[in-house]
Amino acid sequence: MRSRDTRTAYLLLAPSLFGVAAFLVLPILVVMWMALQRWDLIGPRTFVGLDNVVAVAQDGRFARSLLVTAVFVAIVIPAQTVLGLVAALLLNRGLRGSAVFRVVYVLPWICAPLVLGVVWRWILAPTDGALNALLGRRIEWLADPALALPSVAAVTVWTQVGYVALFFVAGLRAIPSTVLEAALLDGAGAWQTFRLVTLPLLRPTLFFVLVTGVISSFQVFDSVYALTPNGGPQGVTDVVAGRIYYEAFESRAVGQAAVMAVVLFVLLAAITLAQQRWFARRTTYDLST
Amino acid sequence: MRLRRLAAAAVALLALAACSPAGPDDAPVADGVTTVSFRLWDQQVAAAYEKSFAEFSRQNPDVRVHLNVVPWADYFTGLTLDVSSGTADDVYWLNALYFGALADSGKLVDVGRELAADAAGWVPAAVEQYSRGGTLWGVPALTDGRIVVFYNRAMVEAAGVDPANLTWHPTDPAADTFLPAVRRLTRDAGGRSADQPGFDPGSVTQYGFNAARDLQGIYYNFVGSNGGRFQAPDDTFAFTDPRSQQAFSYLVDLINVHHVAPSAADTNDNPDFSRDQFLHGKMALFQSGTYNLKNIDDGATFEWGIAPLPAGPAGRVSVVNSVIAAGNADSPRHEAVLRVLRWLGSEQGASFVGAEGAALPAVSAAQKAYFDFWSGRGVDTRYFGADGGTATIPAPSGPKFGPGSTAFEPILNEVFAGRTPVAEGLRAAQETGNAALR
Repeated sequence: MRSRDTRTAYLLLAPSLFGVAAFLVLPILVVMWMALQRWDLIGPRTFVGLDNVVAVAQDGRFARSLLVTAVFVAIVIPAQTVLGLVAALLLNRGLRGSAVFRVVYVLPWICAPLVLGVVWRWILAPTDGALNALLGRRIEWLADPALALPSVAAVTVWTQVGYVALFFVAGLRAIPSTVLEAALLDGAGAWQTFRLVTLPLLRPTLFFVLVTGVISSFQVFDSVYALTPNGGPQGVTDVVAGRIYYEAFESRAVGQAAVMAVVLFVLLAAITLAQQRWFARRTTYDLST
Repeated sequence: MRLRRLAAAAVALLALAACSPAGPDDAPVADGVTTVSFRLWDQQVAAAYEKSFAEFSRQNPDVRVHLNVVPWADYFTGLTLDVSSGTADDVYWLNALYFGALADSGKLVDVGRELAADAAGWVPAAVEQYSRGGTLWGVPALTDGRIVVFYNRAMVEAAGVDPANLTWHPTDPAADTFLPAVRRLTRDAGGRSADQPGFDPGSVTQYGFNAARDLQGIYYNFVGSNGGRFQAPDDTFAFTDPRSQQAFSYLVDLINVHHVAPSAADTNDNPDFSRDQFLHGKMALFQSGTYNLKNIDDGATFEWGIAPLPAGPAGRVSVVNSVIAAGNADSPRHEAVLRVLRWLGSEQGASFVGAEGAALPAVSAAQKAYFDFWSGRGVDTRYFGADGGTATIPAPSGPKFGPGSTAFEPILNEVFAGRTPVAEGLRAAQETGNAALR
């Protein structure tokens, strides 16, 4: 009877298991296998052991791209989280037109990042760009090594703020009004209520927003590629996903690109685990009391 | 209910089919007719090919050609992946960056052997460019002819410049008429030219010339006309050749010292910037090739003309770049593929491309149609051809030229932006490019 139940359970799980195996486990194994091959996409593959790992370790461009990505994440995540929270607080006040603004905020997020990248490239163009025309002076937003990464990060933040705000709005609405009323009765001001009541109760949302935000920022590619192809001036926007793309499809060094992809995967897994542990100790999902 | 489910399943299947990449076996098939798929990147030429292949199918009722136009930006990434997965088209266009690796891997039909009798009718520079290992790896489809200088007639007349007789020299100012000319042709918002006191390089409204990191249109020709080298005979890069270095320095100075060309911030990542400036009447001299002739003819609202390249110490020297139609060696339709390739290499097959001025065919006998078309429109095309007095150098080559150029281009971007000194940048570009060849 019990084994029959087990069989039924596996049968019911089979479609999901197939999806996980075919679209998650198998690609990961293939990438790991590719990391041990030398292949230019055209000729035959050759097993080269750890040669690709050594080559990537000695390639200063990959180390630089990791650093560039870390700086990018360090700019984007705090900015989009704070701005998203501020937008959510404003939207949650139920002011007139909030519903319209909710839609407007989310529009950039639902657009294709590559298209947004092309549009922003026109806006930020040094000679004929809309922003410089507005400012009345020439600024090389995407060609100046000091400005390129902040500019690209700003476009990404602009794209993501609405998405982040949407989750914070949902989180704010899940906080029982009785808790907020209790804080009010205890004499807490608006700032104290926000800092000591609202923010701690938003931690599950914050956890989700930070984990997904960090992962997507580490994997950013299309908008950066559209804004600053070839890694930008002096390679200052050469993010990891872009480096993997150039290595695989421009340099046709698929094995080395696979090694980079594995490194990125391990790095993201470690960061996500660290975030999960940090939040697990500080988060409550029980809002009933 | 059952009908609704069936309809839903059919819609899902159709959606899946729409998402699948097109391959040669997806080409439409009719009874007794073999369909050959042909991938290319140019919409204008594709329109001419439609007419050409209609005639081909009239003469060969058992073969039909299905054109698959893929935008340039995605062309080679997609093609490489499709070749590796065995889903590439039966015939596809190739340029010099990619043919070597495909030829060396045995992915291309040996045209030199299969169509040996036809090769005499093809442009020799194109045959030379795509010959490797003693044989030819495709039918020359298009050739860019010589690079020329398109000029805005009103601007050159106002500045008293004769664009047909300009010479440049990297070290002897007395032998350099080009720099003074482009300085006269460059103007700021106050109407001052770049050779006048008080000229403001921060408010240029009219550029003299389109110096930029443009291999085919600009720097390869300056290197050649200074007697420099771009590659050694073994395909390694030779940017540090003293004459090559002089040519690069001259171009970089045009941008960053003399301010007669757009900033590299505008042109490094936007290859069409200069063409657009020319078309908007904001540039006097625009050096480019036949690939921009139709764009200029369609887009220019002012009187324009064509002059030869400025002559360097080694004379007027232009790269001649061509495109081949290569046969997929893994195609199961080998015999039909050969018939299509033979048609493309014939005078009749190639004449359709030239007849509407879409591009210059690389079949010698078919070029007359192209020149006749443009003559009919009052355009003097003699400088594109051999009669214009411009010598030629072969286009860059090698099985790993693509990865090599990907590696060195970001470094050249810095050189043209003026952030990296020319000698230092060229040395780094050469080392990085050569490392990518290994």
